[in-house]
Formats: sequence, C-alpha cells, structure tokens
Amino acid sequence: MTDAIAPAREVFRNLGTPAVALFYLLGALAIAIFCWGAWARIRKYRRGRRSPRLRLAGARLLHGLTAIASHSTLRKRNASTGLAHFAIFWGFVVLFIGTLIIMIDYDMVRLVDPAWRFWRGAFYLWYSLALDVMGVAFLVGLAVLMARRWGARPAALDYTRPDRAADSYSRRGYLRDDALFAWLLLLIGLTGYLVEGARIAADRPPFETWSLVGWQLANAFDAAGLSRRAANALHWWSWWGHAVLALGFVAYLPYSKAVHILVDLANLLVHDEAAGRRLPAPVEGAASAGYATLADFTWKELLDLDACTKCGRCHVACPARAAGAPLSPRDLILGLREHAEDRLGGLSLLRETRPAANDGGDALIGPVVRPETLWACTTCLACVEACPVGIEHVPLIVQLRRKLVEDGTMDPTLQDALQHLDRYGNSFGQSERTRAKWTQGLPFRIKDARRDEVEYLWFVGDYASYNPRVQEVSRAVARVLRRAGVDFGILYEAERNAGNDVRRVGEEGLFEKLAEQNMKALAKCRFKAILTTDPHSYNTLKNEYPALGLSQPVVHYSELLADLLRSGRLTVAKPAGAAVTYHDPCYLGRYNGVFDAPREVLGRIGARLTEMGRCRDNSFCCGAGGGRIWMDDSGQEERPSVNRIREAVGLGSVQYFVVACPKDVTMYEDAVKTSGQEGRIVVRDLAELVEEAV
Amino acid sequence: MDIVVPIKMVPDLVEELEIDSEGRDLDRSSLKLRISEWDEQAVEEALLLRDKHGARVTVIALDTGDVDETLFTCLAKGADRAIKLLGGEAAQGSSRATASVLAKALKGIPHDLVLTGVQAVDDRDGQVAVFLAEALGLPHVSVVSGVEPAGPNAVVARQEYAGGVMAEFEVDLPCVLGIQAAREAPRYAPVSRVRQAMKTLKLEAAAAAAPDAGAGSTVRRLAKPDAGGRAEILEGSPEEVAEKLYAILKGKGLVKS
Repeated sequence: MTDAIAPAREVFRNLGTPAVALFYLLGALAIAIFCWGAWARIRKYRRGRRSPRLRLAGARLLHGLTAIASHSTLRKRNASTGLAHFAIFWGFVVLFIGTLIIMIDYDMVRLVDPAWRFWRGAFYLWYSLALDVMGVAFLVGLAVLMARRWGARPAALDYTRPDRAADSYSRRGYLRDDALFAWLLLLIGLTGYLVEGARIAADRPPFETWSLVGWQLANAFDAAGLSRRAANALHWWSWWGHAVLALGFVAYLPYSKAVHILVDLANLLVHDEAAGRRLPAPVEGAASAGYATLADFTWKELLDLDACTKCGRCHVACPARAAGAPLSPRDLILGLREHAEDRLGGLSLLRETRPAANDGGDALIGPVVRPETLWACTTCLACVEACPVGIEHVPLIVQLRRKLVEDGTMDPTLQDALQHLDRYGNSFGQSERTRAKWTQGLPFRIKDARRDEVEYLWFVGDYASYNPRVQEVSRAVARVLRRAGVDFGILYEAERNAGNDVRRVGEEGLFEKLAEQNMKALAKCRFKAILTTDPHSYNTLKNEYPALGLSQPVVHYSELLADLLRSGRLTVAKPAGAAVTYHDPCYLGRYNGVFDAPREVLGRIGARLTEMGRCRDNSFCCGAGGGRIWMDDSGQEERPSVNRIREAVGLGSVQYFVVACPKDVTMYEDAVKTSGQEGRIVVRDLAELVEEAV
Repeated sequence: MDIVVPIKMVPDLVEELEIDSEGRDLDRSSLKLRISEWDEQAVEEALLLRDKHGARVTVIALDTGDVDETLFTCLAKGADRAIKLLGGEAAQGSSRATASVLAKALKGIPHDLVLTGVQAVDDRDGQVAVFLAEALGLPHVSVVSGVEPAGPNAVVARQEYAGGVMAEFEVDLPCVLGIQAAREAPRYAPVSRVRQAMKTLKLEAAAAAAPDAGAGSTVRRLAKPDAGGRAEILEGSPEEVAEKLYAILKGKGLVKS
C-alpha cells in the first residue's frame, strides 16, 4: 500500500505492450536517423584542414561554457531576444535532462535491480516541480520569439540577399525550416502539458500538486466536465502526439536549423577571441596564397558555415550592407554553406533553391562569392562581434581576398595603392624621404628614435604623416606631448606603413615585407613603448607584430593623454565645455577594447559627451578599413561615413564630432562636406581639443 | 613565338630631382629608379599575347644598379626569361647608343616580336624602338596600343589617333613595335610571388657590347625651369577682363594696335 501512495508515476501508463514495443521501435528509428545525419555533418568537418582550435578550447573551456550558460553573446544589445532564448535554452536543457532521467531510471536502473530506482518519492516531487516550471519558461520564450519573428518582423530576419538578383534564388525553404522548427518545439511543449494534465485529471494523485501546471490543467479539465474516461482517451492521444513529435524532432534535428543546438555549442567552445585581430598566416606549401576551394577550409571554418542560425545580427550591423554593397556577412556564410552541402554533404532538408545549378565546379570566387562582395568588406569586425554563435567572418573574407590579390582581381586604385606601399612604404605614392616633413612646422625638433633612446617611440602612420589635414593633428599631438614633458621620438624615413590594412586587403606578402622593414628599423631603436595615434597601426603592432619579435607594449595616444591628465602632467587651463559626441574607431574599440580612455580624456578636459546610439563595441564603421579607403566607393547608396554623420547630427546640439583616428579625420570631414552638414557639426581630433584645453 | 621586351629604368619622379655639379645631367647618386611606364605597358602587352596565344616572353634590360627587382617582378608576372646586360652604363641616356647595344644583344636571342616602350621620361627623342628596328633591319610601327597575331608570320598593330580614329597595320614578323599602351592595365605582381621569384629564379646575365653609335645629340645645359611664380587674376565682366588683358599684352609689346 505504501508503494501505491509513494509519489511516482508509471512510465507507460495507459499503454499496452504492443504500443510500448511500437514506441521503442520508433525511438530506435529516430535515433538511427539522427545518427546518420550527425555523422554526415561530422564527416564533413573532418574533411576540413587541421586547426589547433581544440587546444584553444581546452584553455578557455570555462569561458566558453560561461558564455553559453549565461547567454552573454545572445543577450548583448538584444536583451529581450536574448532572455527569451535563455528561457528556451534552459527550459530545453531541463526538459531534456528530465527525459534522460526517466530513461536512466526505467531503461537502465530498473533492468539491473528495480529496487534501485530513484525516480520516485521526494526526488520525483522536485523533479515534477522543476520540469513544470522550466516547461513554462520554454513555452513563454518560444511564444516571444515567434511573435517577434512573425509579428514584429525585424529587418534582421528578412532573408533577401543583397548579392543576388531576386529571381536567381528562393529562400522559401529557410522560412519553412524556421516555421517547422518553432512549431515543433511549441507543440512538443504543449502536448507535454496535455499528457500531464490528462493523467492527473484521470488519476488525481494528491502529490501531483507539485506539478503546478499539470494540476491546474487537470482542474480546468474537471471544470470543463471531462470524464475520467475521456481524460484517459485524451491522455492516450496526447501521449502519442507528444511521442511522435518528440521522436520526429530527434530525427529531424541534424537535417535542419535545429542542428544549431549541437553545432553552436561546439562553435562557441572553439571560437577564438583573437579572430580578426590576429590573422592567420597563409597555409605553408599551399598551391594558392588564399582560399580557392572548400578544400582550403579548416574544420572550424566548415563548422562556422553550419553554425549560422540566420539571426541577421551581422546582416544589420554590417556597414557595407547598409551602404548598399553586395555584402551581407550572413549571406556570405549561408552561400558558402549551401555550396559546402552540395559538395561535402551534411544536407539540410529545407534549403535555398536556385533555378540554375551552380556549374562553376569547385571554385568559390565567382559562382559562390562575388569578388565585389569580398572587396566591400571594411573589416570593421561588427559581424564577428555581433555574432552570438562565434562565427568568424572577417578572417574568412581575408583568406578569400588573398586569392583575389593573387589573381590580380582588384580595383585599379587599390592596385596603385599596393604598388605605392611596396615602392615607397606609404599608400600616398609620396617619397619615403618626405615622411617626416610634417615635423617641419613644429617649433622644436622631434627626437630621432634611430639615434637617441626614447621612452615612447611614436609610430606615426601614413595618414598622420602625409595627409595635410591630419599633419595638423600630428603637430598638435607633438606639441601636447612636449608640453607634458613626454620623452618621445619618431623613426623619420625608416618608418613604413605598419601593414594592418595591407594584410586585411589580402596582400600577405606585402604585409610581411612592410613588417620586416619596420621590425628591422625598430630592432635598432631603444624605447620603452610604442605610441601611435593610428588605431590600424595600433592593432597590428599590438596583436600581430609580437609574432615577429616586437616585445614592447603599444599605447594609443588616447590612453597616454588620459594618463597625462590623470597624473597631472597635463593640467586643464581652459575647460572645453563643448557639447561633443565621440566616434569609437573600429580598430581601437571593437578590436582592442579601448573605450574608456578617450572618454576619460573628454571628461577631464570638460567636454560634455553625448553618446550616439551606436557606440563602444557597437560603433559604426566609417567605411575606410580593410583597404576600403584605397577603393572606389562611388557605387554606394549612402557611404557609411555619411550615415554616421547623419546619426551624430540627429543627436541635436552637438558641436563637435570627436575622433581618435587619422583616417576618421579625413573620412568624416569629407562626409560632413558632401552631405551638406557644414555648420551643423565639426570634426575634431581628440588631440586638438586637448591642446586647446591645456 | 618569341617576344622580347627591352625595358629601361628611369628616374622616379616622386623624388626630388637634382642636377649634378656640371649642370648637364641629373645627380644620379640620389636618384631612385623605376621601370619606365611605357616599358611596363610593353611587358603587359607581351604577357597578354602570351596568355592568349602562347609565346615565350624575354625581358631584357641594361644593368643600372637596381634593375634586379624590376626583372624579378617581370618574372613574377609571368615572363619566361629575364636578361640583364652588364656594363652598358655608357649607353644610358642615349636612344641611339641604347638601341645599338640592344641590337647586338638581340643577335643571340630569338626574337619574332620586339615590344618596347614608345618613349621614356628621360628620353631626348623617344627613338629606341626606331633605332633598334633600323639596326636589326626590321619593320617598325610606333605608338602602338594593341597587338594581335595575324597568321603565323605577321601581327596587326593598332594605333589610336585623336577624335577616336584608329589605324591597324599588318606587320611582317620579325618586327619592332614601340608600345604606347597595352590593351589592359599592367597586372599586379603579388609581393610574395616576386619574393618567391627572387629566391628560386635566376636572372641571366650577358655582357653589353660597346655601342657603335654616338648619342647623336649632346646636352649643353640642364636646368630646372625658372619659377616664374607670378600670376594675376583678372576680375570683372568679360568686357572689362578683355580690356585689361589687351592693355597688358599691349604694354608688353605683344600686340600691335
């Protein structure tokens, strides 16, 4: 008798032996179909080139697991969507573990010794409570996301490709996959409660009050006048409905969007935080310097292709796409995924369809990815930063660009710039002997770091050396540093372009050459740290030059200025008082996390800062990065820099648009002029404001 | 088909040019040299012909110190051979002497088609191709912007004139063509490929013969243009401006009233 009232339930209640046998048969079938699909994917990844990502994952396992468990990447700037997914995720995890517990208890422990069964008593009560609560979280999360997808219809979920004519592809398959996935999960959750409610209504075990939702549902059934017999019938039908849907889901998972449950867990664990910041060297001994076919991809890159859930965050963050260029990071990945599925298997059932088959063979550039798509990228890293599942678009784009450079497929203006960089060490095509000419306008001589030991070796960079407008800024920086008594020097003619953007263009050989020349010059100098005003130089010096032997720290002038103001080496005589907004340069902020130093400087000199909507790690690129500044942008609908100035002007009553990057000075002054905003906002460099204030 | 492209290094105009103490030549000690842009066009035209129709492309240059990287760049772009002529400095600066040295070198190099830049920034006459054809006794067309094969023993050379007029010449092989422009912009040589060429390929070297032609002309004085440095903007209505202009011209005795 005590057993009868001990909290527990019969696993196959209300079912005869043939039904149970049928269930096991279906279960085995579903698992077999799942395993086949999972194997097809794993086989695909195993064809990828080797990559040391597993070792990397080991080192940052805890970090990866925390990101997954807390949904930090999903919640970033998308609190409600992230929270809804968080609820679905944890609901799913708990419900899945709940199912596993029954399997372990019933199909394993019971067979060994029924006395060892643990799925009863107090454990059963807490189990019931946990699953009922998390089931609600699961369903509410789903309902929120479904309402968002089909009610609010955000731009991110519009699957239109910017790189293809509308009649050359159909993504109806994607829409069906989305619907199938969402409704399957929702119905599995709903039928689960139905099974529970019907069972409780039929049997009324008093302890089932712990099943909060099921008990209330049973009450509702009672109130509706459901007989015990009808409740049993409802239980039978809903049990089979739940079982078939759940097993169907298991079978369908590796062939659908649902596979992201597995692939994205893996992808987040093997994601490299340095992706894009430090680019990989070309494959040694490979026939081509860049990626020509899928055979060049590492397994992580193949995994990236499958990881995309089409959430569209990269799609809306991308400045190239906003400018009307044929680049959407999402569609780059999805296009490659479709191609990989054609070539290497691991098929999704509901896919993009095309009226004409790709007969371009294995080649990627052309039939799968257009050269214009690759050249449109500003390497601003917004896509990588926005991606909640650790996809690394930018390094892949650079690998494909390396192939374009090798084939000479590029803008004539880019070719000129590269030839200038090769010949003169600067993109301006000016004599390297005139690199330090900007210093002639100073009332003092800057130390020659090649001869004298200095504390800070100022790596000036091309724009700060050669562009007449930015030269003024460079002189302002020099005067401020001198005023603060900073011991600094420059390389004079020995400096070359640092190669950050050359590398991101895909001209790896030229990057190596420039970096070798710079390292040769630096090796002869004695200095404590490198200082630069240029975030692009900053990035490669800080993240890529150490592999070439650079051991000194690299400091951005905003960081040094903040230090000088904080320590009192610079004192503010005339507080700025101006209303300003600040543009985070991609290579300073998003790439290297320097957000606070320039803001601290603005605060200390008394500027009143109003933030733009897109600020800090969500800053919007000016459009110059990754070599774009050397390419033609006449085909763009709205240049990213103009878009950005519009955003700043939209803040109202902001006097200065403050930048901390030489390229930004020229990009935004040009944008202010060409968009007719002169008189409404003025572009100022951080150093100019500091000089006026001290 | 064997295509030979004689190329030449010229002063890079990006650098400040200085005149030497004797005042008859540039100060060559501070010069930075680069391939003549018309020769670069000739190399491209040769490579285009090779890509499309098959040919062996040989690039040849007088050794002027830093010609090596330029020749390796030609190899990286796809040239089959690169030859530098050692000891030909004396011939530099004169089209006639250069052509004479090249003509002697070409005696030992198979050549069906010789393409070279129609001029160079440091030429006095732009006649290397002309003199070379003369020395080799071959037909010649100048200011060519596009070459196509016409059967096994001839090519069609295209010239462009003002007003969109074009001419095509069928020229028997072997011949010498002075190239104004290639059909496409010169291709890019990725730095890694140039460096690879420097590591794995060798430049051929041959002694330059003594030129048997003089310069034909001599430089008496080389000087920077006088910086006139005065400009006056005439303002007012067109009539007033015309009035002022007339007064100035008349004042300088340039018009008779």
